[in-house]
Amino acid sequence: MRLPWARVLPRGLWGGWGAPQVARSVCQHSRPEGDPAGQASGDASGDASGDASQKASGAPVRRGPPRGAQGKGQGPAAFAAALAALEQAPGRRVGRLELVAAALAAMPALGVARDREAYHHLLRLLPRGVWVPRGPFQRLLAPFPRQQECGLQILEQMERYGVIPDAETRFLLLGVFGPHSRPVRKCQRMLYWLPRLRHVDPHPLPPSLPPSGLATAHLGLRRIANDPDAHVTVYQRPVPDEGDDEGSIQPYIVGAQSPDQQELLSQHGPARPVFVEGPFPLWLRSTRLSYYVLRGDPLPPHLREDPPDPERSLYYPLHLDLDLERGPWDDDDFDVEEVEEGPVFAMCMVGAGDRHTLGKWIAGLQEVNPVLGRTPVVFRLGDGEPTTAGAPGGHPVPRLEAAPARPVVLGPPDPPRGHGHSTSGDTRSGGGPGAPPAAPGE
Amino acid sequence: EEVFPYPEISNEELEEINQFVGPVEKFFNEEVDSKKIDQDAKIPPETLKGLKDLGLFGMQIPEEYGGLGLSNTMYARLGEITSLDGSIAVTLAAHQAIGLKGILIAGTDEQKAKYLPRLASGEHIAAFCLTEPGSGSDAASIQTRATLSEDGKYFLLNGSKVWISNGGLANIFTVFARTEVVDKDGQLKDKITAFIVERDFGGVTHGKPEDKLGIRGSNTCEVHFENTKVPIENVIGEVGGGFKVAMNILNSGRFSMGSASAGMIKKLIEMTAEYACTRKQFNKKLSEFGLIQEKFCFMAVKAYVMESMAYLTAGMMDRPGFPDCSVEAAMVKVFSSEGAWACVSEALQILGGLGYMKDYPYERYLRDTRILLIFEGTNEILRMYIALTGMQYAGKILTDKIKQIKKGNVGVALGEFLSKLQDIMGRKVDYGLVGDRGVVHPSLQESGKKLEENIYYFGATVRGLLSRFGKTIVEEQLVLKRVADIVINLYAMTAAISRASRSISIGLRNHDHEVLLTNIFCTEAYFKNNYAMTQLEKYADENLDDSIKKAAKQVLEKRAYTCSHPLDRTF
Repeated sequence: MRLPWARVLPRGLWGGWGAPQVARSVCQHSRPEGDPAGQASGDASGDASGDASQKASGAPVRRGPPRGAQGKGQGPAAFAAALAALEQAPGRRVGRLELVAAALAAMPALGVARDREAYHHLLRLLPRGVWVPRGPFQRLLAPFPRQQECGLQILEQMERYGVIPDAETRFLLLGVFGPHSRPVRKCQRMLYWLPRLRHVDPHPLPPSLPPSGLATAHLGLRRIANDPDAHVTVYQRPVPDEGDDEGSIQPYIVGAQSPDQQELLSQHGPARPVFVEGPFPLWLRSTRLSYYVLRGDPLPPHLREDPPDPERSLYYPLHLDLDLERGPWDDDDFDVEEVEEGPVFAMCMVGAGDRHTLGKWIAGLQEVNPVLGRTPVVFRLGDGEPTTAGAPGGHPVPRLEAAPARPVVLGPPDPPRGHGHSTSGDTRSGGGPGAPPAAPGE
Repeated sequence: EEVFPYPEISNEELEEINQFVGPVEKFFNEEVDSKKIDQDAKIPPETLKGLKDLGLFGMQIPEEYGGLGLSNTMYARLGEITSLDGSIAVTLAAHQAIGLKGILIAGTDEQKAKYLPRLASGEHIAAFCLTEPGSGSDAASIQTRATLSEDGKYFLLNGSKVWISNGGLANIFTVFARTEVVDKDGQLKDKITAFIVERDFGGVTHGKPEDKLGIRGSNTCEVHFENTKVPIENVIGEVGGGFKVAMNILNSGRFSMGSASAGMIKKLIEMTAEYACTRKQFNKKLSEFGLIQEKFCFMAVKAYVMESMAYLTAGMMDRPGFPDCSVEAAMVKVFSSEGAWACVSEALQILGGLGYMKDYPYERYLRDTRILLIFEGTNEILRMYIALTGMQYAGKILTDKIKQIKKGNVGVALGEFLSKLQDIMGRKVDYGLVGDRGVVHPSLQESGKKLEENIYYFGATVRGLLSRFGKTIVEEQLVLKRVADIVINLYAMTAAISRASRSISIGLRNHDHEVLLTNIFCTEAYFKNNYAMTQLEKYADENLDDSIKKAAKQVLEKRAYTCSHPLDRTF
């Protein structure tokens, strides 16, 4: 401080010079400069008038550069430049807390919110040694609360943006606030928790998502079903390559299927239909993607698992022929009433969710799963227009409501209707990237 | 009972065996160059001819068909000698123990008369074709098909088999394929059938011999069948009955591994002891160091127990009436293969750097021994077999009792509680092995008592497991593994005690050494059994199964080692 004799003057309860002004300015930091009169009062030490006037003039100056610097550009250099400009501005000492608050608010806009050096810069603005309480009794009285709040604000912003403090941060904080202060405690806590919490997400998204398109579709598919065996195939590349595909010439089609699903599909049997359902939403941070699912109905109970085959294993018995069940103390299953859901055979994400594109997806799937060619595929899209791609005979297909998922009635299978197994085969074999499947009753 | 006294063979048989043993040993010591066989990955034809002349290709074929007609015990005895060279042992085993066993066990007289004479003389070699690329122990996934021709006179065989020993040399194959069979309900089913296929039927091709780690002299290759015509007369057993035939063949060939490994270890002990007693380090002979002595003791104990188990099983199988000793044979196989692997490792270790060099045979023995744990039923699968067969048997007996306990009958519950209390206080078990009227010699009393205690507590443990898991115990492989280990130890203890008891009672040479080995083994096995039994209790601290499964699940989810590197930092 410039006036060492002022130390012996009586201080206010909250300690520090110009505390009431600073308190008020911190409260008003988001509003334009208010009350020169209110700020000028109560400042009994030197620089009073100068400070008040400079504060009043400094406020618009302060407000200006952080926002003005946006025009110059973003980044740590711009931020440092803005701070340097403000440092040169007179009256920095008293309005320091307000300055720091304003800078904190401006950091996201400048793009330095995740830059630790920027926060160090801010911390270096604060005075060292002044706000360190001397002695245990001063510590007892909770000294410099607003200043410690300011330090805490800085640290809180660091925490919110996931910036892990450094040894240097801690050193700066120690210099400013002293070893037993709240900011230093908070820094210790951050040093404990933040490194841990960084690894807490088992499926982290990459920090910057690619623009919505093929790459996000890949990400999304991998996120929904993280099966390491699954093959994610691009059935159609988008034309144009980037950008939003609504209304583009050729929307992208990305599908995923794993070998287990292929097996299930091959065992599903061509007599029972499979359904293309969708679109279901998937949110990746703030992007919404939609995916479609190829699903079948669950087997009715009388067609389920085969009875145990005694001649299955050559070496040891797979089933014991005893009448004993598992005891209740060892029974780890819970009595859960599960809703029966049919098997999901494949998933896809498309640029435009119309039947034409989805038909192309089915055609692409058919190359790996030939049984799809003989299976009727029912499109249950969310827009309420159910169509059967494999029944050209104008068969009365039950009209479904817009809701995609329906409870399935599990009864014995209906006798197969004569509808176009062969014709659906024709459309399938004719299908390929080019021909859309003929669909009457649309 | 069947186990005490130890099975003996008559004097005439003993003389007969010794007559066989002499020439065979001479042949193996002089004319078999194992190193060359290993390097060339081929058995030279002169050696094969020598084996055929000695009659080793027809050891178990009855004399009327031209074989030696040896019983199981004698076969085991000769196996001790043939095991001096791993490749030759495997070639012979693939030929007799599995290749032609099918014809022996389940073949009709015409089939036997047609094929066995030439197989016995070694003119034709046999091979056993069951494994396919997609099917190891899973019989249901065999893809090879045999379709009946239109006139119904023969089958057309189509498919390929992989890893067939003697595949390149053999002329006669026992092939397992799927056939469509009409069930007694009238349903059409796919069942396995066993066929005798000759190479002359046409369409049989084999790939090049595989380059293996050990038993390099044995010829292992793929065999492909393309529209091979197999006459109906060549079906072994009945059409659709191949599963039982396969099981019987596989279960009957296993016990000889015990005596084979024992023979190999005895030879190793000789060679290694020679080295240990001559080499000096720190001015002391190696044999004076405690760690080396421990290794020798370990090898001797293992060899002794393996021999005892193998000959006990062979003796049991030689009894009239074809008893089913498949579980005992499996136990012999598991114990011997693991024991052999450990002993060969230790022998190589005693030799240190020299054991690692190709100039010495130890590394060849090590490589040849590694396959013992894998073929003829992997040890893991055989453990499951031993445990589950035992559980099935025990379950049949204990079902009623367990159901009563579960129902909550007061009297039964009180009885259980009292017996548990007595168990905790330390009960005295007496099965009649030890004591005045006991079958075990007094100097083996302690071991006998330990065996009895183990058996009793094992029974209690099995009962507990059955009441805890019931028939879902099939899925609890870690529990079954421990059960199998205990059973194997119990059988080993029984065999060792029985044999040592007989040795003392008759007064064989060095019977006190045998007693010593038996006592050592029984004490070790007693403690291992007790530990396994404590692990099998519910909420046992020693039981790490849940943690093991959890860790395995985490590793398998990521399909990699998931821990961060020790040098990683977070900030």
